[in-house]
Amino acid sequence: MHYDAVVIGAGTAGLVAGARLAEGGARVCVLAKGVGSTHLAPATIDVLGYTPARVSSPAAVFDEFAASRPDHPYALLGVDAVGEAVRWFLGSVAAGPLPEYRYVGDLERNILLPTAVGALRPSALVPSTMAAGDAATGERVCVVGTRSLRDFHASLCAANLRRAGIDARSVDVEIELDRADANTLGLARRFDDPAWRAGFAARLALKLRAHESVGLPAMLGLRDPHGAWSDVQRRLGRPVFEIPTLPPSVPGMRLFEILRATLRRAGGRLVVGAEVVSADRSGSRIVSVATAAAGHDARYGAPWFVLASGGFGSGAIELDSHWDTRDRVLGLPLRGLPEPGEPRFVGDYLAEQPMARVGVAVDSSLVAEGADNVVVAGAALPGAVPWREGSGEGIALASGSYAARLVLARSGAPAGAAA
Amino acid sequence: MASLSTDVLVIGGGATGTGVAWDAALRGFDVVLVDRADLAEGTSGRFHGLLHSGGRYAVKDPRAAEECIAENRILRRITPDSIEDVGGFFVTTPWDDPAYADRFAQGCRDTGIDCEEIDPAQALREEPLLNPNVSRVFRVPDGNIDVWKTIWSMARGIQARGGRVLPYHAVVGIHRDGDTVTGARLRGAATGEEIDVEARVTVNASGAWAGSVADMAGIEGVRVRPGRGIMIAMNHRLVNTCVNRCQMPTDGDIIVPIRTVCVIGTTDVHTEDPDDHTVLETEVDAMLDDGEKLVPGFRQARALRVWTGVRPLFEDAKAEDADTRDVTRAHAMLDHAERDGVQGFVTITGGKLTTFRLMAQDTMTAVCKHLGDERPCTTKTEPLPGSESGETYHLGERLSRKEARLADDQLICECEMVPRWRLEEAVQRRATTNLDDIRRLLRLGMGPCQGGFCIYRATGILHSLDGLTAEQADGSLLHFLEERWKGVWPVLYGDQLRQARLDDWIFQGVLDVAHLPSSEREPVATP
Repeated sequence: MHYDAVVIGAGTAGLVAGARLAEGGARVCVLAKGVGSTHLAPATIDVLGYTPARVSSPAAVFDEFAASRPDHPYALLGVDAVGEAVRWFLGSVAAGPLPEYRYVGDLERNILLPTAVGALRPSALVPSTMAAGDAATGERVCVVGTRSLRDFHASLCAANLRRAGIDARSVDVEIELDRADANTLGLARRFDDPAWRAGFAARLALKLRAHESVGLPAMLGLRDPHGAWSDVQRRLGRPVFEIPTLPPSVPGMRLFEILRATLRRAGGRLVVGAEVVSADRSGSRIVSVATAAAGHDARYGAPWFVLASGGFGSGAIELDSHWDTRDRVLGLPLRGLPEPGEPRFVGDYLAEQPMARVGVAVDSSLVAEGADNVVVAGAALPGAVPWREGSGEGIALASGSYAARLVLARSGAPAGAAA
Repeated sequence: MASLSTDVLVIGGGATGTGVAWDAALRGFDVVLVDRADLAEGTSGRFHGLLHSGGRYAVKDPRAAEECIAENRILRRITPDSIEDVGGFFVTTPWDDPAYADRFAQGCRDTGIDCEEIDPAQALREEPLLNPNVSRVFRVPDGNIDVWKTIWSMARGIQARGGRVLPYHAVVGIHRDGDTVTGARLRGAATGEEIDVEARVTVNASGAWAGSVADMAGIEGVRVRPGRGIMIAMNHRLVNTCVNRCQMPTDGDIIVPIRTVCVIGTTDVHTEDPDDHTVLETEVDAMLDDGEKLVPGFRQARALRVWTGVRPLFEDAKAEDADTRDVTRAHAMLDHAERDGVQGFVTITGGKLTTFRLMAQDTMTAVCKHLGDERPCTTKTEPLPGSESGETYHLGERLSRKEARLADDQLICECEMVPRWRLEEAVQRRATTNLDDIRRLLRLGMGPCQGGFCIYRATGILHSLDGLTAEQADGSLLHFLEERWKGVWPVLYGDQLRQARLDDWIFQGVLDVAHLPSSEREPVATP
């Protein structure tokens, strides 16, 4: 099978790169071992949350941050690339498969949303179903939990919000389930049912006080979350917001649906369950990659590849028991490794770990070292610690978009020519 | 200052000290058991979990071997609930001296260990991952023992008989009245409050720390050589039988399947400081290589956690060389009336987990002499609380309980199948806010995800149970994450590094625990 471009990885970066390549007219195929980071993450668009001080405006500190970390993806991408990618993303959400589901926010101001433990976490853009949780509203908050859901603990969340100066309390609503180990995904399917959520809202309404907004675990519907959220909000007569909690992430699954639909609408192909197991090279170029899938193996050839396979978290980069580190997908050189003899990890859990910034080595165009037709995007890039910086989706959107632009610009031209 | 008065004060809440207190309680004495940390947090909780058949000592230390097999049989009777009857193999690998096998078989005969040579092909049918090049295999009655369960069963039994169990109470001074030890002063870790305990007899059962406790009593020359060893827990039971190399005991020569994991052990390095928990990369590498010899492909499995334990090896004059393994594994009971002319003080140290009951019996027999009140020992026959049914633990036990109650039994820790009611009960019974204490009680967070999913849940439940502030709950969560990381990072590679990265995303990303409202943490301790 031959394409104009093959993207490896179906996290946010890979889906964005695939969708934008397809929108640019390329015949594109996205190959993935499985679904990516979307199903694990809160689905907020975090651009820059900590430097390590908490960031109130990503746009205001971006240049200074990038200048202080010349190895960071943001130093190569620049703030305009992030802004462009965010605008594209908002358009994709609006044109997406979830009616009226939107993201709100911008790069000028981080929104502080409560986490499931009651910390306040900065994000540039958030789903409209979460927006009323913005700590800046100063609203009184009632955090709602249910004993049936082991993945959300309303009283702890509310107690920590109170410590942060928010007037918060918690209530517990009973939900009858046929199995004790339900997660937010199972409950989201219930919230898709108008009759069920009407019953839930009626039970909850009895426990609410005047002038308080309502925080619920992020589970307000999967097929029509805007419908579910606005219905609950209308029935309760007050602002309602979702609070992301442990995986699987319901808002992350919505994000995946939006990006997959964008890719398909533009004519791109997505193959999940296809792990890239080998690559054919010709000199400094990758000619094709082979996948192992249930039932059959296949080979995908293309003049361009986008490597968006993630880092250690996805297994694309591996540290083995002999302490050797490698890119398992294409065998490309890595950057950011501690020097031999230096520690790989340190004993303080919350300190930055020396292995944290490892990624596939790239030049200033994000082209991989040692493979002239491979552009790297997302968590496969070196130089960032997205879970500490609050920068994961900003990097994914901007680098995925950038990779697509670069490939489209260079397609037809010999690899190595200027974009 | 608060004060207590008792017949017997036991210092050290490991298997030996708790065993002494249990023995004392069964003999009808009033007893106070104290530890500077949690019960079984020292050496007892830091071993591989092997219930010895004695095979390991059959050639080298026949007396230790005889004690092991006798105690093995007794423990299976009195605490079957803690024991899984997995059996053991001694296997001759290509790296082992083939002549040792016959000496091993003879040693087992001489010391009364049930030992049967089996066809290596049969051993491979039972343990398909075992090195196919083993030339001889002997079956012995090794088992595994969940020492936390054993120790807390005894603690419950002590409490039920009116004894007092005080974890997180460090001894800060030992009282002497002339030539008699009269008790000790304790300091509670949670409050800093001091308590004077007046005791007719004080037992120093502090294991590798016995020298410093004896020093506090003004008794000189009690020297315990701490021998530090590392153990690594792998995420599967690569074997379902304890597999030992058939050779003189050395490093990395045993794999013990216990609960959901298997543990490879161990090294033996002399250390000056029993609180030294250093893990060297060279030790980890050597241990993984040793694992490969017993189970080819061992390095491809996931290593969950590494820890160190210190053997308390009582020093005698002939053991000045560096290898602490050569010091006898038999225990040392020092009656300080005989040794030093000091009344009311007894030290018990050395030994090994499998013989803790015997050590306790010997100690209490000496204590009875001090008390002038000789009463018979009944620990050989009295089952521990929870073991009355006489049934040993089996691997599917937690799963079968869960499957019987799918609709109403919410699992908090999926890896170790810990249900919510059990967590709530443990929190209330122990009155602890320390998730690490709960981990030892229930194995919460000890499986492949190392707390990634259960620790937020457990923190939320802890907080919703009465009386815990958000500060304390956050402190417990962060304390658990920090303690867990100590055992995780030195063996972090392969898929376990993937897991750790997911856990980083959960805790530092989704939950953002690094930015909880106040950076000031409450101290975490049992009240």
